[in-house]
Amino acid sequence: MTTQTQQLQAPAAPVRRPPKSGLTGHRFAGPLFASPALLGLAIFLVAPFVLAVVLSFYRVQLNSPRPARFVGFEQYTRLFTDPDLAAAFGQALLNNFTFALIVVPVQTLLALALAVLVNRQLRGMVVFRTFIFMPLVFPLALTAVIWRLIYSRGDQGLLNALLGLFSGGTITSHDWLGDPATALGAIIVMSIWQSVSFQMIIVLAALQSVPAELYEAASLDRASKWAQFINVTVPGIRNTLIFVALITTIFSFRLFDQVYLLSRSGSVDRNSTETVMTQIINTGFDNNNVGQAAAMTVIFMLIITVIAIIQRAAARQRGGIQ
Amino acid sequence: MMTIPKPRGGAGILTAAAAASIAALVLTGCGGPGTGAAGPTVEAGSGEGTINVWAVDGQAAENDALKKIISNFESSQSKIKVNLKLFPSDQYTKAVNSAAPGDLPDVLDFDGPTLASFVYNGKMAPLKGSVSEETLSNQTDSIKAQNTVDDSVYGVGMMNAGLGLWGNKKLLDAAGVAYPTTPDKAWTADEFTGVLDKLATVIPGGKPLDLSEQYGFAGEWGTCCSAGPVIWSGGGTMLKDNKASGALDSQANIKSLTKFASWKKYTDPNADGLAFTSGRVALSWVGHWTYPTYKALGEDLVSIPLPNFGKGTKTTSGTFAWGMGATTKNGAAAGKFLDFLMTDDSVGTYTDANGAPPATKTALAASGLYGPGKKLELLGEQLSRACGQEDKITDSCVSVTRPVTAGYPILTDQVGKAEAAIYAGKDAKEALSAAARAIDQNFADNDGYKK
Amino acid sequence: MTTSTALKPRQRRGSMKRARRWQTALHYLLLAVVSLFFFLPVYYLIIGSFRPSSEVLSGLSGFVPTNLSFDNYRGVFDHLSSDATGHFGQFAAVSIIVTTAVVAGSLIVNSMAAYSFARMQWRGKKIIFLLVVVLTIIPFEAVALPLYYMFSGQRDTIAIQAIPFIANAFSIFLFYTFFLDVPGEIEEAARLDGAGPLRTFFQVVVPITKPAFATVAILTFLAQWGSYLWPVLMVSDPTVRPLPLAISIFQNQQPPEWGQVLAFGTMFIVPVLAVFLIFQRWFVASISSSAVKG
Repeated sequence: MTTQTQQLQAPAAPVRRPPKSGLTGHRFAGPLFASPALLGLAIFLVAPFVLAVVLSFYRVQLNSPRPARFVGFEQYTRLFTDPDLAAAFGQALLNNFTFALIVVPVQTLLALALAVLVNRQLRGMVVFRTFIFMPLVFPLALTAVIWRLIYSRGDQGLLNALLGLFSGGTITSHDWLGDPATALGAIIVMSIWQSVSFQMIIVLAALQSVPAELYEAASLDRASKWAQFINVTVPGIRNTLIFVALITTIFSFRLFDQVYLLSRSGSVDRNSTETVMTQIINTGFDNNNVGQAAAMTVIFMLIITVIAIIQRAAARQRGGIQ
Repeated sequence: MMTIPKPRGGAGILTAAAAASIAALVLTGCGGPGTGAAGPTVEAGSGEGTINVWAVDGQAAENDALKKIISNFESSQSKIKVNLKLFPSDQYTKAVNSAAPGDLPDVLDFDGPTLASFVYNGKMAPLKGSVSEETLSNQTDSIKAQNTVDDSVYGVGMMNAGLGLWGNKKLLDAAGVAYPTTPDKAWTADEFTGVLDKLATVIPGGKPLDLSEQYGFAGEWGTCCSAGPVIWSGGGTMLKDNKASGALDSQANIKSLTKFASWKKYTDPNADGLAFTSGRVALSWVGHWTYPTYKALGEDLVSIPLPNFGKGTKTTSGTFAWGMGATTKNGAAAGKFLDFLMTDDSVGTYTDANGAPPATKTALAASGLYGPGKKLELLGEQLSRACGQEDKITDSCVSVTRPVTAGYPILTDQVGKAEAAIYAGKDAKEALSAAARAIDQNFADNDGYKK
Repeated sequence: MTTSTALKPRQRRGSMKRARRWQTALHYLLLAVVSLFFFLPVYYLIIGSFRPSSEVLSGLSGFVPTNLSFDNYRGVFDHLSSDATGHFGQFAAVSIIVTTAVVAGSLIVNSMAAYSFARMQWRGKKIIFLLVVVLTIIPFEAVALPLYYMFSGQRDTIAIQAIPFIANAFSIFLFYTFFLDVPGEIEEAARLDGAGPLRTFFQVVVPITKPAFATVAILTFLAQWGSYLWPVLMVSDPTVRPLPLAISIFQNQQPPEWGQVLAFGTMFIVPVLAVFLIFQRWFVASISSSAVKG
């Protein structure tokens, strides 16, 4: 929706306000205003990225007295041809994609369901909303601590205890983070707990901006609640849902803190939850292999860029974005 | 800073951005981490003034003991003051490794196996000449093995460490389990499975064992204290001639670690650290450091050697010790402080606080815990039967020093990761050979970490 | 983005009253279940912080508020009682200073850049703005390693914890979308009064775009307060250690002092929760406007 806004507004601006920069005597004002932020971005985002590209052509170890050695594309060829590295990197990418494939639809739908749930004027609604928003202010470092205790293996763990209670003891304790089959799922639930209300708030705002007349028209047609929801609500907030899906996708690929913190506690098969981001940090800082980590960074950035472009293009093609 | 605006606008900013990134590259070239190690530049200095000391933020009792020793030191003489800084253990190695040469402390705590890489990275200075001969000769053999790199001594230790199975006698008796008390009579791994079966019948929930999962097998605990003894006891090693392939992924190691993982079904995860003291488990596989809490069991507390996987029971020895920063300008004062740390009084204060076996000969002899006939005699005996490093293991020695190599960071990362994966159910052969290849690749990239 | 409208068409009267009462009851039930899911971990954190460590992790009884005391809090402050370990107040001060600096800096710097892109004419603007938009997708984690490499000489300073996060592509973008809506006449009037671009911006534009500033402030605050990776890399000295790093002091105890971990966590989060409860309206408004605008 963003690009469209630009296109609508930008050409309009000169008409409204013809450029008279020469007359006002503030010819440099524009670049001057922008320069502090641009300088910051250049130094702290662009320069390190360029440096990552450069480092990826070297064999260089963190904290090592050994001088960096130029190795050309070795780090890249290893990443794709060394069976171990390729498998690990592939697994990490797969985990990221799995996470995104589950989290994006689930979290978007959940956000919609929650928004519908709280979008009603009932007594005490403020309290319920407050409960739902609360996790949003929890830093991940703290969230990970709490959920590590909740997922604790054995009967001591809160989740196991709860399940045991509701099943009357038929569900026995499970190693949520340790079992490769549930580790990623456990992290997904935790992530949803922490952040779904962000998406919910966005959807809620959209719900409340759907014109009331549309509902009135629909109810005159004797449309059922469900039919109203499908035919009026969903189309009305379609763009917002797409936006939510977009940002959730980006978040999914940045997945780091919770995995990093949780997979280093207890007995966890790290491969089952490793994401590209945790792998980069692990390679660079735990194994001190800066060159390899830099190559991973570069590949990863290419992938994210491609995904972002495809998504934007797809969203625009369907035409709804304004 | 904000001198960008040229009439060309955008182009100017792009140029500036490019300039900034190039500047960054140049900066990295001469100031990045990992360059500055031009060999130790220790100066003896005046022998007075303030020295900076870094240590790990440990248990409250340990911190208090250390502070007490420091205040004793300061009141025992008037010329040297100590400025102590404590770091959380998970951030400590990074703190040392990332410190610019000028920011290194005069005296620092270090975990045994990290020493070789600290030396390799130019963070440590040899102690000869700064610390007295008396102090050096009073160190026990097993701690000396840990603190010596390329024939130079870089560290002195107040304490050592040992592992064992702590047993709850009441529960063992209830299950009718007889237990060994000397290393030579250790349970074989198969006998141990049988013991667990028996114990499972008397423990509600059927999980009579604590393997200290809460420390995380994927971290140093895994390599040090569970995979390490298992591998060594099974007749395997992690490295052979500086290579992991053919050593870490050997049949013996696959068999031993698979056996170890088979005990998961008997294991209480112990996330609260209370499994043993609360009587939830009958056996706890952990280090000496739990003694201060475990002694709450009183007469019911017994110490048992770790299971024997074929080549006799093995334990890891070695732990945190003290050394000198590579760039200290006050080596004489640092040496005096280290001498003071190694006095019987200081060692006594420290090891009383954490229950550790003393690492100096005189303090060990005076120990009320580890000597013959004392409560922790078993751990004392294990330490006295030192193997040295893993290439010198025999059937009868017990305490093994972790590999002394500058490549230890990759070794511990991969061994721990592999152990955690095997424990979580992954095929041992696959996990160990992947780990071995990763280690060898890293060694090759660094020319085997030779100077 | 204000509330109130959508509900009216539902207000039909008559025979359906009973059905509606049922519906309402069901609605409340659902709300309660959902709230429980979100609130239980928070409750567990707070109650656990007042219970003995040995009882924190003990199945469902972890939820029962018995044996409450301030022992864990005392334990935290006892542990952090010397310059060697650093003090809780010190860690909190570092977090507050860094977060404040980032929020304040990012409000000024990013809004000015956005204003320049949205309302000023200069050569190269379009291409540079496009670059900024592209930058919004680079995650910080991806550049952490080279950034650490570049600034390893500045470790253990407050400045290095804050400065890299001031300029932010996404914030520029948010401000930009807000500034596009500012009516040109207002600026024109200011200019006729003889105001330069700086005065026009700060005295005319900023006051009418306060929601934009609230939005960026809140989003920046949330991202910064819990910042973990960068401090792990750049900070070891206790005097400049922020709160998220200090939690691990308590996690690494043997046996684990879960009660103290939770007490520390509670002190870490309660001030933020309080601010959140007070400003909940703004908070919600700002997040929703990030989408409506973004």
